[in-house]
Amino acid sequence: MNLSGAVGLAVMSAVVVAWGVSLVSGYDVVADVNPEHMNLGPASAHWLGTDHLGRDVAWRLVTASEVFVGPGLFACLLALLLGVPAGAWAGWVGGLGAELVRYVFTVIASLPRFVLVLLVCAIYGSSVWTLAAAAAVAYSPAIAEAVYSRIATFRGREFVLAAEAHGVHWARILGWHLLWVNGKTLIARHALQLFAYFLLVETTLSYIGALEAGAGFGVPEPTPSWGNMIAFEWGVRHGNQWATWAPALAIWVVILGALLLADGLAEGDHA
Amino acid sequence: MPDGVVLRGLRVEGPQGVLVQGVDLDVLPGRIHVLVGASGSGKTLSARSLLGMVDARPGVTQATLEVTWGDQTWRPYEGLDLNSRRARAVAERRFRPLRGSILGYLPQDARRSLDPLWTVGRQLRAALALREQPHDDGPAAWLARAGFPQPERVEPLYPHELSGGMAQRASIALALARGSRFLLADEPTTGLDPTVQEAILQELLALRDQEGVGLLFITHDLRIVPRLADRLYVMHAGSLVEDLPGDQLDQLTSQPARALWQATARIAGGVLG
Amino acid sequence: MSAPPPDRRRQLALLSALGRRFGAFVLTLLGAALLAQVLLWSAPGDAADLLAGDPELRAALVVEMGLDRPPHVAWWAFVTHALGGDLGRSLTYRPGMAVLELVQPAALRSLVLVVGALVVSLLVGTALAYVTAGRRSLGRRLLQAVSIAPVFLMAWVLVVGLNEWAFELMLQDRIVRPSWFALPDQESLLKWALAIGVLAVGSSAVTEVHSACEDELKAIRRSGYVDAARARGARLWPHVLWNLVPPLTTIASSRAAFFVGGLVVVEKVLHLNGVGAMLWQACRLRDVPLALGITFVAAAVVCGARLLADVLRVTVDPRLRTQT
Repeated sequence: MNLSGAVGLAVMSAVVVAWGVSLVSGYDVVADVNPEHMNLGPASAHWLGTDHLGRDVAWRLVTASEVFVGPGLFACLLALLLGVPAGAWAGWVGGLGAELVRYVFTVIASLPRFVLVLLVCAIYGSSVWTLAAAAAVAYSPAIAEAVYSRIATFRGREFVLAAEAHGVHWARILGWHLLWVNGKTLIARHALQLFAYFLLVETTLSYIGALEAGAGFGVPEPTPSWGNMIAFEWGVRHGNQWATWAPALAIWVVILGALLLADGLAEGDHA
Repeated sequence: MPDGVVLRGLRVEGPQGVLVQGVDLDVLPGRIHVLVGASGSGKTLSARSLLGMVDARPGVTQATLEVTWGDQTWRPYEGLDLNSRRARAVAERRFRPLRGSILGYLPQDARRSLDPLWTVGRQLRAALALREQPHDDGPAAWLARAGFPQPERVEPLYPHELSGGMAQRASIALALARGSRFLLADEPTTGLDPTVQEAILQELLALRDQEGVGLLFITHDLRIVPRLADRLYVMHAGSLVEDLPGDQLDQLTSQPARALWQATARIAGGVLG
Repeated sequence: MSAPPPDRRRQLALLSALGRRFGAFVLTLLGAALLAQVLLWSAPGDAADLLAGDPELRAALVVEMGLDRPPHVAWWAFVTHALGGDLGRSLTYRPGMAVLELVQPAALRSLVLVVGALVVSLLVGTALAYVTAGRRSLGRRLLQAVSIAPVFLMAWVLVVGLNEWAFELMLQDRIVRPSWFALPDQESLLKWALAIGVLAVGSSAVTEVHSACEDELKAIRRSGYVDAARARGARLWPHVLWNLVPPLTTIASSRAAFFVGGLVVVEKVLHLNGVGAMLWQACRLRDVPLALGITFVAAAVVCGARLLADVLRVTVDPRLRTQT
């Protein structure tokens, strides 16, 4: 794996660590409010300072990982469940069945992803788990199409035909040889890209939801999300700059990290 | 000065070292000069240096080229230190008036040398528009001159609809329509089947005899030499090893040329004998 | 020598190619409408809940607004009405107003954004490809890294940055307070320019166009026909430009979905009243027909872009007309 892939891996590992730490330690959203310590800059007590309610920025930064890591993993799982079997089956059987499956995914893909996510949230409420499901559905066509392409390309290769001729069961060829041995990096890359996309969607909705309190989008205050942390400081004069720039940077770095890791995995993928 | 293209002392260098060294070539009106050599001998590079289209870096580092037609003489490489980028830009400007009008190029893969989005007729019209002295004939006339029995049916075709032989003839028609005085034909019959090869060779002979075009014919196949060549150049590993009149093939002196000639004779004899 | 296909056969091949693509367009659009209907039908709460507390009144409202029909019935009604230009009436956003009437002026504003972003990304991407010409450049990596940031974040950075910069200059008495300073709702050319720029970069359109253009330019420059044209003393740019059109249209149309998705966020964050901003309101107010109408328009734009690109490609590139 090359340098950028290694950087991506480091970033994602840091995210997982933050998530673990946050799960273990917990965070009392109310108790953290501390008007005496408003708008402090970075210091030993508060590594990134405090926001305009006196809450520790660094700790909220870490705790916000709960809001997107768990649901993000759920989104990946769901999208893989929706996209991989369908795409693999379509690639394997070809013909009318494949056309039908691809049609369904083309229809889903014809709605812009964010529009679909917004629609689902408006209908089913805005909990992060709903958001994750919506993002998974919106992203599944990309996964299905990628898996379909890969399987269809391999379908006619000699080693597959030879395995069939030797009586190897088609499920084993498809499941083990094609999907796992030849397909796992492709699948992992798409999962990472979806994770990045979910973070993007969650922070976008939380940001807008925080600007328009009561609209019911994204993660509501006081639960920290990198999105609502940025919006919360809007209009605060002489505030702690880190309170907004730290989450902004965090969003960008984590998305970059996930995509770099995905690219790094691509290096080892020989199609 | 008599009309013609005279190249002396060509030296071409690439990133790995010297590719062509000490090559002298002439292209004369109404004559077919054949340039023979195995793949990698430098024959295409030598021909392209006549057009200033050698793409290797640093490319042509030494050459004396004199192109004469009527009362005009061009010396594109004169006085330039060809190692510098500025010199290359200057040379490029100097070659522009020569390309197409005096020197033409018949590429090996004719079909790929035609713009896939344009019909044959449109490409011919574009070539005709470039002529210094406009000609009355339309595309169909030029296609007929290149050997098409039904030129009106070929005009509206797109390159991907042409067979290899048709594309090569269209390429010839383009060169004719452009009005080039000298043609550099880079392996124009390689890869075509024998009947088509024969037809193309006939066209090229007609070009020499009827239109007075001077041809530099590049090939790795010695079999066509006796029929075609007024003069024969043989290249090997970047150098010129033979330069003799086309009817004196029995007087090859260099080892590579003799080996090539013997191998060719064996193949030709074996197939037909 | 192969016989050329007669003109009639060529025309038929072209028509059937176009016809097939139009058929796919219609089918996909129908599917999208059905998907939206299914989603909305399974809603746990609906507009009726927002408007009425009384169960009898609610039941009456449900019947009147047609919220009790099964999805395929509602879908068929929607499709047949849509063909006649009737996309329903808004329930809660502007009760009673035709959705089409509401959407049209907003759509025009959004169109300016999308077309602007498209033009910008094509021009900038192509220009960059011409300049960098395949050399590994740091600027390109930087642009790629910036492109992946969420659109709202880009807009936020730009707005905050601009306001800070203006504030500093005002403090130093270097400039007078600009009309747009700290006034998000104020219309200004700057806001539109920002929106177009953020949309073009944030939807990764600039980087994708740049990438594709670089690859294509490389292939075209190395191609036999450019080489032959050069040897003929002909001008190269007509060959290069027209052969660039098919791949560029493919790239541009593939970005349509990202443009529309990005549009929704950009309009919200920069306070521009287009269809994106309207969609947010419709979702918030559970205005089913309006949300459905806008979603359908969005899907139509995405599918329409693909269709347009196909038509353009087939027109420019004759090789595509005879393919199945």
